[in-house]
Amino acid sequence: MKGRILVVVVLTAAALAVAVLTVGASAAPAQVRPPTTTTPAPDPADVAAGYELYQIACTTCHGARGEGVEDRGPSLVGVGAASADFYLSTGRMPLDRPRSQAERKKVAYSPVQIRQLVAFVASLGPGPPIPDVDPAAGNLAEGNRLYANNCAPCHSSAGAGGALGRAVYAPPLNRATPVQVAEAIRVGPGAMPVFGPEALDDDQVNSIVRYVEYLRHPDDQGGLGLGHLGPIPEGFVAWVVGLGAMLMAVRWIGTKD
Amino acid sequence: MTRRLLRWVDERLGASHFSRKAIDKIFPDHWSFMVGEIAMYCLVILIVTGVYLTFFFVPASEEVVYHGPYKALEGTRMSAAYASTLDISFEVRSGLVMRQMHHWSALIFMAALVVHMCRVFFTGAFRRPREINWVVGVTLFILSMMNGFFGYSLVDDLLSGTGVRVGYSIALSIPIAGEWLAFLFFGGEFPNTEFITRFYVLHVLLLPALIVGLLGAHLAILWRQKHTQFKGPGRTEDNIEGSRLWPSYAAKSVGLFFIVTAVVAALGGLAQINPVWLYGPYDPTQASAATAGSQPDWYVGWLDGALRIMPGWEIRAWGHTIANPFFPGALLPGVTFGVLYAWPFLERRFTKDREAHNLLDRPRDAPVRTALGMATLSFYTILFIAGGNDVLASLFKVAPEAITNLFRILIFVAPAVTFFVTRSACRSLARDKVHPFGGSVGSRVRRTPSGGYEEIDEHDPAPEVGAIRADLVTEAYRPPPQS
Amino acid sequence: MGGRPGSHADGRALDRNQRLMPDERGMPAEGRIGVLLIISTVAALGLALVYIGGGQPQAEGALLGISLGGIGVALILWARGLSTEGTVTAERGPLGGDPDDEEVVEERIEEVTDEPGRRSVLKLFWAAGGALALSAVFPIRSLGPAPGQSLLETAWRPGARLVDDNGRPVRVDTLPVGGTLTAFPQDAEHAADSQVVLVRVQEHLLQARPGRDNWTPQGNVAYSKICPHVGCPVGLYQADTHELLCPCHQSTFDVLDGARPRFGPATRSLPQLPLSVDREGFLVAQADFDEPVGPAFWNRG
Repeated sequence: MKGRILVVVVLTAAALAVAVLTVGASAAPAQVRPPTTTTPAPDPADVAAGYELYQIACTTCHGARGEGVEDRGPSLVGVGAASADFYLSTGRMPLDRPRSQAERKKVAYSPVQIRQLVAFVASLGPGPPIPDVDPAAGNLAEGNRLYANNCAPCHSSAGAGGALGRAVYAPPLNRATPVQVAEAIRVGPGAMPVFGPEALDDDQVNSIVRYVEYLRHPDDQGGLGLGHLGPIPEGFVAWVVGLGAMLMAVRWIGTKD
Repeated sequence: MTRRLLRWVDERLGASHFSRKAIDKIFPDHWSFMVGEIAMYCLVILIVTGVYLTFFFVPASEEVVYHGPYKALEGTRMSAAYASTLDISFEVRSGLVMRQMHHWSALIFMAALVVHMCRVFFTGAFRRPREINWVVGVTLFILSMMNGFFGYSLVDDLLSGTGVRVGYSIALSIPIAGEWLAFLFFGGEFPNTEFITRFYVLHVLLLPALIVGLLGAHLAILWRQKHTQFKGPGRTEDNIEGSRLWPSYAAKSVGLFFIVTAVVAALGGLAQINPVWLYGPYDPTQASAATAGSQPDWYVGWLDGALRIMPGWEIRAWGHTIANPFFPGALLPGVTFGVLYAWPFLERRFTKDREAHNLLDRPRDAPVRTALGMATLSFYTILFIAGGNDVLASLFKVAPEAITNLFRILIFVAPAVTFFVTRSACRSLARDKVHPFGGSVGSRVRRTPSGGYEEIDEHDPAPEVGAIRADLVTEAYRPPPQS
Repeated sequence: MGGRPGSHADGRALDRNQRLMPDERGMPAEGRIGVLLIISTVAALGLALVYIGGGQPQAEGALLGISLGGIGVALILWARGLSTEGTVTAERGPLGGDPDDEEVVEERIEEVTDEPGRRSVLKLFWAAGGALALSAVFPIRSLGPAPGQSLLETAWRPGARLVDDNGRPVRVDTLPVGGTLTAFPQDAEHAADSQVVLVRVQEHLLQARPGRDNWTPQGNVAYSKICPHVGCPVGLYQADTHELLCPCHQSTFDVLDGARPRFGPATRSLPQLPLSVDREGFLVAQADFDEPVGPAFWNRG
């Protein structure tokens, strides 16, 4: 019996050590964000319920009161409702295992629970609120221009995503909702830079969101989109489909000896 | 009726003697000899669709404001060239199909050229007396690659504009003459308003004229020397076996033209290529940047891959710099094409074979040539794949650094391994006639007089007296020869 | 001339592909050709209708492909039927010409060069022709301006304000920490060699190079956006590792260490623009870059 307890303790310690070493390597330092004053005060019932949920899954990495744990998880003080909502509603948090980059995956909480957790995190300190997004109020061509200048370098012209350094990548945007897009712009999750209201005002964000929504179903008048990845799939199709069909034709026309 | 027409022409041009010889001219029928024709017909498609596009394309860098059907670019400033491309795509009826056929045809054209060049190389068709045609062919290859680059850069979209910038910088990196070369060729510091018009002249006038002229020479030389043929029963260095030009070969060739055009037409309408409206206009003065996943068209991919895997080395001495892009961007292609040009003469020197050859080698008959060719192909294939290192990195969720370092190793290892594997495979194929990877599919057996079966030894196939030969039994009935 | 109907020149049977025979399903070849041509005609008419009706790329491509393909396949099938003699063989004949012809040509050419007086005149012809050819190359000079100083300087001047791509001047606190934008010199926004990427980091993280201590007011640091490799805009900023990444060939620059290249083919750091703050709180350049921007060249030094 003692032996078994010892084994369990050792394994748990080992697992924690592994978690610390790998998650710690990827934890980003906290970024200070300008405080905002337009957030309506969160419902205290939500805050309390959020705190209960927080105790269950988040304290290991983010600390008992969101102050962060060195080499494990950043401080959540001042990250704002936008950040919490972004990470939770895309399923990036909670991390299922230590990773170099938090990725979109199956959402772990119901919308009510997310609202509660967001309320709790927002109560920790002033930070960007969940943006008020109105894609219809945005201008498509202006959004195109802003997207090309600010977003396309990492996310590619068609929103297909792209590689950055050190095994980090800019994700494809086809599954992001308008609110999530705006949140990411304001929060700068992970490797993404922060675009504050001084750099991109709310109208410009609306336009960018409108364009990103357009990119989910871009104008493919030319036919099959081939993933919108550019010359690589095009070259592949040219060789395999185009030249392939022609080579089959000459095999049929000519002799084989 | 035909006779009257022929006589009318003959009285004026005296062509009947030539026509009589031409009609009977023999062309060998092997399927691999038609790959060059595929390329030629792609060129025809390029010219026909290209002429159509020139009626609508505006080769000018003047800035215009777009007001057209594509709403996502409404009010955007762009060059007239880019705007005219949008018009072709969205406002000219059948314009998009023409544009896409033009671009698909260019990609397939280059692919067919590579396969054709490989066929000529691996069968030794470049040997005497065909060295001149090899040189003409390599020149056609280089000119076609350049013409493709200029062509897709004309559109002045974000992706191709990035490529023009890279080309400019490579020119700049050439020692001693680089700055002048870049400034004279492109018309000044990058970017400027000159280069679109220049690329247009090159792409529409100068290079096509050279290509068509050299293609004419290529075909004329082929006509004069007659095509090569594979070894086989009844074929010698002094004869030629195939079908006659008229009607057989001509009909097959025209039929191939229709099939090639059909494939290009189907792709041109059904598979989108180069959706420049998604990339947006190239505007280096604004913040618009190159994007992740920027690759050139496939046939330039090997150059881009070389630029990517080249480590950050540079030569700096006595106040001068030989910049890093020079080595993969100018020196590598220079060496590549130099070796290509020189190959028939190099091979002749090393094999001491100065005979004329009208019979082709099977690749296995020349193990060193085949192995060197495969090693070279593997070298350029590694470079070509390296051109997509960031796409591979995001596909496999690994760091681009890791992929790049992997290719830096593979670029040496892969050709070496390929050389030795290929050479030994050729030798074993030539010796044993057994595929080195698979062994024999089966064996031939014969019935012994006592009723059992025994395997026929390939090296000693003499049957026992009275034994029944299995291969005789399976051959289809043929009518007896008529005397 | 070898060959007889239905076989190769040496008596080998023609393979299936080369004989025109009804296939096992019993349809004669002419029937197949007919069907193909009818399909092709219908497709061509369909194509015309689609065009008249306004055009639709996928329909146009598909119908054109069917129409062309039908004719092509029909032609091949027909070609097999036309050939009644299978493959034929003939002698190649020698390539080289008559040695007498060669001799006569050689003599006639050398007639001109043989006499001594003629030879020196010929040399003068070569010399004159060569000089003409050389001077005829000179109009190429008109193709572009002399490089001069243009590669060595940009449009940045002392005191020039930074403006963003909307033309708005950038304040020292426009960017939050972790933010980035592209900036240009005011009144020279279209100078393509002058674009800079402005990044804001936590000041204590910056390791300023010697002499650059006052180049980064409140953590704002500006580097030339033009990659020193082949000139692509270095537009990817990885905020967590403070690295600028060039998308073309993956050169990576450390923002905290003067944009030193950490990986990739770039051999030099991105030139840094010295910044300061003017009286109204806007970011300005102290001077032009202290080295040429963009890709290297022979005379860069």
